[in-house]
Amino acid sequence: MIQTLTGIDSTASALAAERIRMDVISQNIANANLTHGIDGKPYQRQQVIFEKVLQQAQGLDGGAAAQQVQVARIEQDHRPARLIYNPGHPDADADGMVAVPNINIHEEMADLIVASRAYEANLAVVKNARTMALQTLSIGKR
Amino acid sequence: MDPISGLRLANIIPNGLQPLDVQAPKPGSIPTQELSNLASVKTPETQNVGRSFSDFFTEMTQEVNAKQSAASDAVQGVLSGQNVPLHRAMLAVEEASVSFQLMVEVRNKLLESYQELMRMQI
Amino acid sequence: MIEALFNQPNYVATKKMMDATALRHEAIASNIANVETPNYRRIDVPTTFADELKSAIATQDVQKISSLTPFITEDSSAIAATRDGNTVQLETELMNLNQNTIAHTLETELASGTLMRLRMAITGRTS
Repeated sequence: MIQTLTGIDSTASALAAERIRMDVISQNIANANLTHGIDGKPYQRQQVIFEKVLQQAQGLDGGAAAQQVQVARIEQDHRPARLIYNPGHPDADADGMVAVPNINIHEEMADLIVASRAYEANLAVVKNARTMALQTLSIGKR
Repeated sequence: MDPISGLRLANIIPNGLQPLDVQAPKPGSIPTQELSNLASVKTPETQNVGRSFSDFFTEMTQEVNAKQSAASDAVQGVLSGQNVPLHRAMLAVEEASVSFQLMVEVRNKLLESYQELMRMQI
Repeated sequence: MIEALFNQPNYVATKKMMDATALRHEAIASNIANVETPNYRRIDVPTTFADELKSAIATQDVQKISSLTPFITEDSSAIAATRDGNTVQLETELMNLNQNTIAHTLETELASGTLMRLRMAITGRTS
């Protein structure tokens, strides 16, 4: 395909990766109170791990190359569930304690803000690339 | 005369655009020697001494052709997805276009001066 | 003869700078894309290239200017701001992005102006 926008590979990969991250965070927030999932256990917090995409090609004229990013894996957080005393709850055990997902809403919101800031920064990069390409196309014309 | 054959002017105009020989009437007050000296003023670039105009025009045509093929290569590079930066292709195309325009204008001026020469009453 | 038209120091320097600007945009895009990647070190067109280009322009030697090639390297002077070893500062990158785009606008205007002036000189018409 014609490469008209410079650096579009890195930016596109980052937009996809940040979008996945935001999806995972929203899922965490939505399931913050799920005490009884499909496997019978409370919902376990998930997080994404980013990694660089291994590039085969060497950078232009030697030196470093632009790196794309991708989601390496979505892994489950291994923090134990919180126990809350609620004997009337259907999932309460013998002591009346309910295992509730150990998700801190403030932490998730902070992560969401960081992720969406990164997403918007990448959108700004694309916008600038587009401006530059349009200017290039109008060289010599008035 | 059609423009295409106008390009073969070099065969009609004498080399170096030297003055026509003895048939031309000379103004009585100016000696013949001075007239000849006036006519033999050389171009500023000394390397053009002895070069015919046809050589000059051929060289310019070749250079313009080189520019056009460089531009075509650059555009091909962009279209085929090789990592040719867009600005390089655009600049190459514009430079080729300017060079071509120069050649066309030179040709126009040559035609004009030839036609004016032919209109001159002997 | 045709080459002499385009071998003016300022025009050749402008074209070189456009190459560097396009390359820098790639580097900035990579940095912003990897702002959350652990152990990512930021890359950029090194300032040594900018200095070389500046001194080459001062000499007004076309051969010297056109022999330079811009390139991207890892920025060794960047310090990791977070524990995961990532050296990208988002605000710095966004500022560089804006500056780079404006620089590109300038270079496009200069190159465009040179070409249009050439056309004007050749055809005698202003458009």
